[in-house]
Amino acid sequence: MSDHLCEINVSDIDLADERYKILFSENDIEFLAQSFEETGLIYPPIVRPLNNKFIIISGFNRIRAHIHNNRAHNGEIKIVVYKTNANTTDYQCLLKSITAFAFKRRLTQAELIICTSRLHHFLDEKQIAKKSPAIFNTELSVRFIKDLLIVGDLPDPGLELIQTGNLSFKSSKKIAFFKKDTIKVFLEIFSRIHASNNKQLEIILYIMEIAARDDILPTEIFNNQEIQDILFDDKKETVIKTSLLRAYLFELRFPTVFKMRQMVLKKITSIKLGNKIKFLPPENLDSQTYSISFTAGTYEEFLSNVQNLNAGLEKKELKDIFNQ
Amino acid sequence: MKIDTLFIDKAIQKDLEIDYLISKVNADPQWVENTQTIYDFINSDDDPILKAKKTLYVTQNKGAVIKECPGTSFYTCCDYTILYTGTFCTMDCSYCILQAYFHPPVLQYFAGLKKLGHTLEKTFRQNKIFRIGTGEYTDSLIWEKISLQPKFLIETFAKQNNCLLELKTKTVNIESLLHLDHNEKTIFSWSLNTPAIISSEEKGTASLKARFEAARRVESEGYKLAFHFDPIVIYPGCEVQYKKVVKQIFKYVRPESIVWISIGTFRFMPKLKQIIEKRFKHSTIPYGEFILGLDNKMRYFKPLRIKIYKEIISCIKEYAPNLLVYFCMEDQEVWEKCIGIFPEKEGELGHLLDKSAVTHCNLNSNLL
Repeated sequence: MSDHLCEINVSDIDLADERYKILFSENDIEFLAQSFEETGLIYPPIVRPLNNKFIIISGFNRIRAHIHNNRAHNGEIKIVVYKTNANTTDYQCLLKSITAFAFKRRLTQAELIICTSRLHHFLDEKQIAKKSPAIFNTELSVRFIKDLLIVGDLPDPGLELIQTGNLSFKSSKKIAFFKKDTIKVFLEIFSRIHASNNKQLEIILYIMEIAARDDILPTEIFNNQEIQDILFDDKKETVIKTSLLRAYLFELRFPTVFKMRQMVLKKITSIKLGNKIKFLPPENLDSQTYSISFTAGTYEEFLSNVQNLNAGLEKKELKDIFNQ
Repeated sequence: MKIDTLFIDKAIQKDLEIDYLISKVNADPQWVENTQTIYDFINSDDDPILKAKKTLYVTQNKGAVIKECPGTSFYTCCDYTILYTGTFCTMDCSYCILQAYFHPPVLQYFAGLKKLGHTLEKTFRQNKIFRIGTGEYTDSLIWEKISLQPKFLIETFAKQNNCLLELKTKTVNIESLLHLDHNEKTIFSWSLNTPAIISSEEKGTASLKARFEAARRVESEGYKLAFHFDPIVIYPGCEVQYKKVVKQIFKYVRPESIVWISIGTFRFMPKLKQIIEKRFKHSTIPYGEFILGLDNKMRYFKPLRIKIYKEIISCIKEYAPNLLVYFCMEDQEVWEKCIGIFPEKEGELGHLLDKSAVTHCNLNSNLL
């Protein structure tokens, strides 16, 4: 199974064949190319002879960087590679492609998903789990492998969103069980916003609950004009879009709570207690206890806050809050 | 749900009570050493909760037979007393807290009428009014079909005058109890809901009409009644539907026969939501406007609770102005806005209920 070191022509490599490529997106190879100029190619790529050509098993970037450095040369570019034996199997090549990476650095979740899906053509979940320390340089449980496989079935751009952090692993696992159209809705949403894991889960939860409550499809919610306006406004930052979407979904999911909160906050603002005094409604508006607090560094500040409070005492809005 | 598996604790002595039960349950009894056998049997199923509804375990009550109702300090409690005669239920209501309350839930029947009698005797000797019910951890009357316990309880309570027995149910299992000498010490009470909620969320329960007809029959035998609008589920048009149910109460029975009506909106431990979503895929009840209450249960947003309560209470008062209506676990604001009073002092609500119990069930008024 040992590979042997040899020099081959770059033109003999089928660069279009990326069946063993794990890296998700094209990396900038500028620095790698510069490094080759300085130190030469330290770790030769691994290639496999196939149909009178070579296909890359490991070292896609190194080959690109090498070509980049030699693009000005006339004539054939040569490169030192490890060439696998002719009898090396698909499975062995796959193992090489994964281990070459996994023992260099920890794989990202998207990469783990890709690798596990490929391995699953040859091994079942239990076998993958058993071999995981040798393949992935870390132990993976059967349950986690099952999750990786489920998420691996997400359509495009699922993996890309996981790689960019737009879609958390937990959220991707959640949406993977939905119907195709619903999955599409969430992939579309998360392509256009950037939210933390908890916020993603909240968005998924609200949309699914609104759909269940109103007996409509999530696609109908997605097609709602207000949501479309938020998501497809290219002038807005993704963070702003996220908070607008969350606020709108909250309004749809909890219309009475939303209305009441708005009303109370409006009244609190209209009392004009000054920005140093915090006047907070009870949590969930379930108890009747409002809290009020201020900080003061000097006697004058303290006095000013008390005066503001006194001025607020006669405000109708303040009485309304407690008598509503 | 029909019981198809019967386990009996080996420590139980065979007697008339057990023979009767075995003869009524259509399953061969399997005598077991401990509860682990039952847990393993139930947990081996894809839906352990459903399996538990069809698996009866006859055992002894190894804990307290009489317990105080586990109310919380944040909301006003009615100071009820629970007679612990069994656990879980054969009916399958989506919102049932018992699904999440026991780990795993087991349909248990606590055998030992003698022991039950002795425990009750001690309570009967106390100089205090007790409102005692068996419907907290199970439905009181699912047992009527297979056991002598409901009959025993009615007849035992008939012999004293400081305790009232409330049999709370969603069944119409009253046949064997109709002609007993109850001495007015037993209340039959029905949980009520709208026909829409009964058909979508209360699988295996009697229809609303059947419940009312059963209420009319027990009333005609001199039994007193109670009704519980709990859980009230808020959905579009629910106000009209709940008011229709209220009107029907008074079409079937006389207001004077009703000892009390309690009302409470749907509230649940957060973990119940997952169970409902998993077991009742059609159900939309977890998707109301719930907030986390002070007792860490999910409750409808307060203005929504107040709105539906006001509608129902005003409708009840139209037909029966003097009827005692109370909230199960609500706070001062809700009481004041909906009923106009707040039983602020500890035990005040309990006292109101005791008074109604004394008046309707001929209990010893000197104990008030």
